[in-house]
Amino acid sequence: MYLLWLRVAAILYAAASVAVFPAVLYSLSRWRKICVHLGGLALFFHFVSVVEMLVQAHRWMPVGVREIESLLGLAVAGLFFLVWWLYDAISLGIFALPVTFFLVLVPALGPDRYTFPSEGVRVSWLVAHIAALLISYVALAFSMLASVLYLIQEQRIKSKLKPGQDSWWAPFEWLPPLDTLERIAHATLEFGFPCMTVGLVIGSVLAQETPLGASYFLDPKIIAAFISWVVYVLLLLVRRSAGLRGRRAAYLSGAVFLVMIAVWAANLFSHVHRYGAQ
Amino acid sequence: MTLALIGVNYKTAPIELRERIAISREELPETTRALAAVPGVSECMIVSTCNRVELLAAVDSPEADLTGFLHRYFGLDPALLAPHIYEQRDRDAVRHLFRVAASLDSMVVGEPQILGQVKEAFAVARASGTVAGQLEHLLQSAFAAAKKVRSETEIGASSVSIASVAVDLARKIFGSLQGRTVFLVGAGKMSELAARHLVQQGAGAILVSNRTQARAQRMAEEFRGRVIPFEQLHQAASEADIVISSTGAPHPIFRPEDGQAFLHRRRNRPMFFIDIAVPRDVDPAMGKLEGIFVYDIDDLQQVAAAHMAERSREAGDAEALIAAEVERFQQRQRTVNAAPAIVALQRQAEEIRQTELRRVQSRLGALSAEQAAAVEALTRGLVNKFLHPPMQALKQAAREGDSARMEVLCDAWSVPAGAEREAEQTLASSEPGNGETEKAEAAHVGESSVETRP
Repeated sequence: MYLLWLRVAAILYAAASVAVFPAVLYSLSRWRKICVHLGGLALFFHFVSVVEMLVQAHRWMPVGVREIESLLGLAVAGLFFLVWWLYDAISLGIFALPVTFFLVLVPALGPDRYTFPSEGVRVSWLVAHIAALLISYVALAFSMLASVLYLIQEQRIKSKLKPGQDSWWAPFEWLPPLDTLERIAHATLEFGFPCMTVGLVIGSVLAQETPLGASYFLDPKIIAAFISWVVYVLLLLVRRSAGLRGRRAAYLSGAVFLVMIAVWAANLFSHVHRYGAQ
Repeated sequence: MTLALIGVNYKTAPIELRERIAISREELPETTRALAAVPGVSECMIVSTCNRVELLAAVDSPEADLTGFLHRYFGLDPALLAPHIYEQRDRDAVRHLFRVAASLDSMVVGEPQILGQVKEAFAVARASGTVAGQLEHLLQSAFAAAKKVRSETEIGASSVSIASVAVDLARKIFGSLQGRTVFLVGAGKMSELAARHLVQQGAGAILVSNRTQARAQRMAEEFRGRVIPFEQLHQAASEADIVISSTGAPHPIFRPEDGQAFLHRRRNRPMFFIDIAVPRDVDPAMGKLEGIFVYDIDDLQQVAAAHMAERSREAGDAEALIAAEVERFQQRQRTVNAAPAIVALQRQAEEIRQTELRRVQSRLGALSAEQAAAVEALTRGLVNKFLHPPMQALKQAAREGDSARMEVLCDAWSVPAGAEREAEQTLASSEPGNGETEKAEAAHVGESSVETRP
């Protein structure tokens, strides 16, 4: 049944992704309402589908790439709606909604049959580990996106653009104010950190329970995950102590994001930490 | 009934003349009532703003002398006023009013205040009892047209004054201006105006610094701000999110090294410098610093001018909308004028139906309640079906303004002569309980009258 809800959510995300463009680029309030309603409904059905999926996971339903994608999509959409609610910044939907749609599309096509190499990972804490880390990745992605948009908006204001003037910056009229972007970048960064910490702690405890025990932590993927956490801490400290914002903050966020992508990609090569094999 | 509009505005009369006939808010009800007392004036209202004084009236005789009223009431020499006054009638008056309400006749095209001023004038006239059906209908249509122009064109979307452009830019940087600190360096008129705009948008603390301490003190009192001694300018500047500088200094007083220091003290929180001084107070190189935004008077003026050009383009679309709305109003007026004939026709048919029912009642004998209801429904249905074609024809003729056809139709259906005028009065003073009139109105003007509500 969860597939049905996921498919409904995918269709609604697609419609919301279409509606967000006129809503943001032409500031059309009617489209804005349509986009928010469609996206909200999609999020609801997506949530229902994920809950059903987790219920099945308790019954030994394996968690594979498609399910992970669905969870990631839920995190992206959820964080987008949180940011929209807190900062009234629907502009980020231009990125978040289509990304969510594509993340949901493949899982919505059909279930995958996966088997886990180890019995030890079939515990519900695994879901908490995955969900916490996914949320932290999404938060970091949002932070980087907001930082990049900050740079664009800053350059746009500095370029002293006149209405109707032909310029690189002209199409970015829809961007939120600098201060809003800065607050989104900072808040999402701070929000993602405890999630990443919780995810790593749960993951570490689960790893201890595997037959590999402590040697699990010598895997390059696991080491990279802890390195990304350290870089995250550094980013937070530098931002906080030096009041870092603008260009340098965007570069730093970008660096942490790249490390995070590398950690994610390491799942494909790790011997001990990888998605279930078919 | 004729619509008449006379007035003077910023295009036709100098300020010296406009101020002599300007009517204050307190005097407006009395002046409106005085205008209503002019022979031949049945309804009236007066719009008086700093840019225009206009008298709008529904007159039922050509002798109604609105210009004479202006001369007499304000004690002006007719020869003095005559070259500056304009007069519009009927369709032209409607078009003029619609353009005024939509801010197409304003000094700054698209400014939003005029609609509020017209609404206020209308409210005063209504409270004074000088408007009824005709002006009520006209004004509601004018408000609806103005609203349409605002929502369907971008005429009022962009800022056209330097102060409002500065506020827009500040919003792009800071989002909400709530609680932002504004620093006025130099106490000139322009910086005062910009500060006033920022305060209206919610800006918080105001700091004022000027070489002449007394002027700084006066301005600080006005904004409930704090005076900063001029020699402590650089120390205080880092407290401010927005700095409006307008001193007469021959050299820049804010240099890139000052900017670096401000950013350091502010932990890189952005600053917006609005430099309206000539020569400039802020070194343009400061704008290259990350987190500092500098706009000088030329930058602001260029943005304002570009917005103004945009508005002019939008005004073309707005004029087309107004033309269509005027046409719609005229058409609706004509349809409304068919209502009296329709009411008379319905009344006549109803009388015939009742008479015929009474005549056959004795032959039908005692009818049960169901039978009586069936006969009632049958006769009513027949009458309505018979009346439908002539009513449609009357409505069509009225819409097309074809009075000859109206007359022929009235003759053909034996609608009594003068029904039009009689029922027109019925319409104007129609009471909620008057079923017939309501029905006729609903049938013939219903759809459009709903749209006229703003």
